[in-house]
Amino acid sequence: MIPTFGQNATATPKQAHFNPYSFNGGSIMAIAGDDFAVVASDTRLSEGFSIHSRNAPKTYKLTDKTVLASAGFHGDVLTEIKVLEARLKMYEHEHGKKMSSQAIAAMLATILYHKRFFPYYVYNIIGGLDEEGKGCVYSYDPVGSYEREVYRAGGSAGPLLQPLLDNQIGFKNQQGVEKVSLSKDKAIKLIKDIFISAAERDIYTGDSLHLKVVTKEGVSEETFPLRRD
Amino acid sequence: MSILSYNGSAIVAMAGKDCVAIAADRRFGIQGQTVALDFQKIYEYGPNLYMGLPGLATDVQTVAQRLKFRVNMYELRENRKMKPQTMLSVVSNLLYERRFGPYFVEPVIAGLDPKTSKPFIASLDLIGCPMITEDFVINGTCAEQLYGMCEALWEPDMSPDVLFEKVSQAMMSSCDRDAISGWGVVVHIIEKDKVTTRTLKARMD
Amino acid sequence: MVTGTSVLGVKFDGGIIIAADTLGSYGSLARFRDCPRVMKVNECSVLGAGGDYADYQHLKAMIEQKVLDEDNLNDGFNYTPKSLFNWLTRIMYHKRSNFNPLWNTLVIGGLQDGEPYLGYIDKLGVAYTNDTVATGFGSYLAAPMLRDGLEKNPKMTEADAKQLIDRALRVLFYRDARSWNRYQLAIVTKDGVRIEGPLSSKTDWSVAHVAKGIQ
Repeated sequence: MIPTFGQNATATPKQAHFNPYSFNGGSIMAIAGDDFAVVASDTRLSEGFSIHSRNAPKTYKLTDKTVLASAGFHGDVLTEIKVLEARLKMYEHEHGKKMSSQAIAAMLATILYHKRFFPYYVYNIIGGLDEEGKGCVYSYDPVGSYEREVYRAGGSAGPLLQPLLDNQIGFKNQQGVEKVSLSKDKAIKLIKDIFISAAERDIYTGDSLHLKVVTKEGVSEETFPLRRD
Repeated sequence: MSILSYNGSAIVAMAGKDCVAIAADRRFGIQGQTVALDFQKIYEYGPNLYMGLPGLATDVQTVAQRLKFRVNMYELRENRKMKPQTMLSVVSNLLYERRFGPYFVEPVIAGLDPKTSKPFIASLDLIGCPMITEDFVINGTCAEQLYGMCEALWEPDMSPDVLFEKVSQAMMSSCDRDAISGWGVVVHIIEKDKVTTRTLKARMD
Repeated sequence: MVTGTSVLGVKFDGGIIIAADTLGSYGSLARFRDCPRVMKVNECSVLGAGGDYADYQHLKAMIEQKVLDEDNLNDGFNYTPKSLFNWLTRIMYHKRSNFNPLWNTLVIGGLQDGEPYLGYIDKLGVAYTNDTVATGFGSYLAAPMLRDGLEKNPKMTEADAKQLIDRALRVLFYRDARSWNRYQLAIVTKDGVRIEGPLSSKTDWSVAHVAKGIQ
C-alpha cells in the first residue's frame, strides 16, 4: 500500500488531451469522359461550426494531365501535396519526363500506406488523362486502398453525391436507356447541379464550386458560386 | 454502433400535387447479416394515412402496435378519422413519454388531410421532436444518400406517376450505397380516392 | 500556463494589420497585463500569436535567431512573409506529428512581392491565407465583422482598417472574458513595419444599467 495524503495523492497529473487531427470538411468529385476528366471541389474550409475560409479550393494540379482533389484534415492535405510535388519533381529529374496519371495514382497509394499506423486523414480522388489519352479517375481511402473508376464523389458530402452519380452517369436503376458516352458540357452541368444539392444539406459544403477540366490541351479552370450559409 | 442502425432501414416520404408517396426498403438484418427480405416498415393507420418506422426492428413493431391502439381509441372516442397532423402529435407524445429510455425509431408520416386532401408529410426523431416539411422527409440508415438524391430529383407539383418514378429512383440508388438497406423496396402512392402499392426489385448485394 | 486570446488580421490597400491585446491570462486570472503578442520579424513581415505564451516566446526566439543568421549572410536575401508562413506551417505540423505541439494559433502577415499577404496557422498545422483572419474567440465575434467590413469597402485604406480592427477588438473586449482593452498593432506597408500601441478603444457602458438579474 502506497502511503497517501488525501484521497487523490496517487492520482497522476493529467495532461491536456491532444488530438492530432481535425476535420476541415469539403466535398470533392471527379468524372472521366472519353478524352477528358473533370475534377471538382467546393472552396469552403471549416472547423466545427466556424468557416475559416470561403476561398480554399481542394483541387491541386499535379501535371498537365493529372489533377488531385483532397479533403479531410487540412494539415495532412498540405503535407501530402508537398510530399507528392517533391516526388513528382524527383521523378522528372530522374527520368526526364513527366509522371503518367497511372504512375501518380500508384505512387499516391504507397505514400498513403507508408503512414498506415498514423494515417494522413485525407480522402483523395485523382482525375486526369491516362497514357492513351482517355479520361481516368482513381479514388482512395485514407490508408491507400485505391481503384480506377469512371466517376467518384468524396469528402463530407460524398454519401449525398455518389448515388446521384451512379444514377445519372452510371445509369444505375434505369431501364431501357441508351448508354451514351458523357460529353464535357453535360458532365460540368451535372457537377454544378449535384454540388448545389449538396450545399443545401451539408454544412461543410458551400461558398463556391471550383472545377478543373483536364483535356489534351491542358488544365482549364472554372468557378461557380454556391450558397454561403 | 448505434442501436438505431442495428437492423438497417431507409424510409422516405415525398409530396406531389394532390398526392404523397411513402417508400421503405424491405430488409431485416442483424448488423451485416440479412435475415429477411419482406419486413414491413410502413404501416397503414387510415385510408389516407401511412407511417414509416425506421430503426430497431423490435421497437418498430412495438411502436406500430401501440400507435394502432391509440389511433383506435381516438377514433372510437371522437367518432371521426384521424388527421395526419393529429397523428404527428400522437406519435410525438408516445415517443416523448419515453424521453429517458426511448424507442429507437425515427418515424416518417405521410398522408392526405381527410377533409381537404392536402398533402402532409412529417418526420420525428426518436424522442418525438416533430418536423413538417413541404417537399420530402427522410429517416433511416441511408438518410444521407437519400438527401442527396431527393434534393436533386424533387420538384414542386409532381403528378402521381412522376412522383412514383422519382421516389423509386431515389430509393433504389440510395439503397445501393448503403450496405444495410435495400433488398427490395415498397412504394405507396397515396391519392384522394386510391392508394397504389408497388414493390420494386432491387439489388441483393 | 499563461495564454493569450484572439489575434486579428486584415489586408488593406497596400498593406496589412495584425492586432492582439496584451493580456497574459493564467486560467481565468488576468495575470500579466503587458504581454506583447505581435512581433516584427523583418522589414516586410510580422507575426501575431495566441495560445500558450511560453511557446510563443520560444518561437519568437527561434525566429529572431533565424533572421539574425540570415542577415549575417549579407547576401541581400531575406525571409518573406510567404517563406516564413511555409516554414512555420512545417514547424507546427512537425511538432503535432510528434505529439508535442506548440500550443499556438499564429497569424502571419506582410508584403510579398509588393502585395499584401496574410495567413493563419494553428497547432495542428492547418494553414491558409485569406484577406481577413481571426483566431480563437475572434473567429466567432470578429471574423464576421472583418469580412463584412472588407466586403463593403474592398479598397480599404490603412486608417479604415485600423478603425475596423478597433471596432472588432472592442466587441471582443466586451464579450471575451479573457480579453483586455489594451492592444498592439503590427502594420506592414511599403514603408516598412510599425508596431503601434499599446492602444485602448473607447468603450461605452451606458447600456450596462439595463442588464438586470445577472448579479
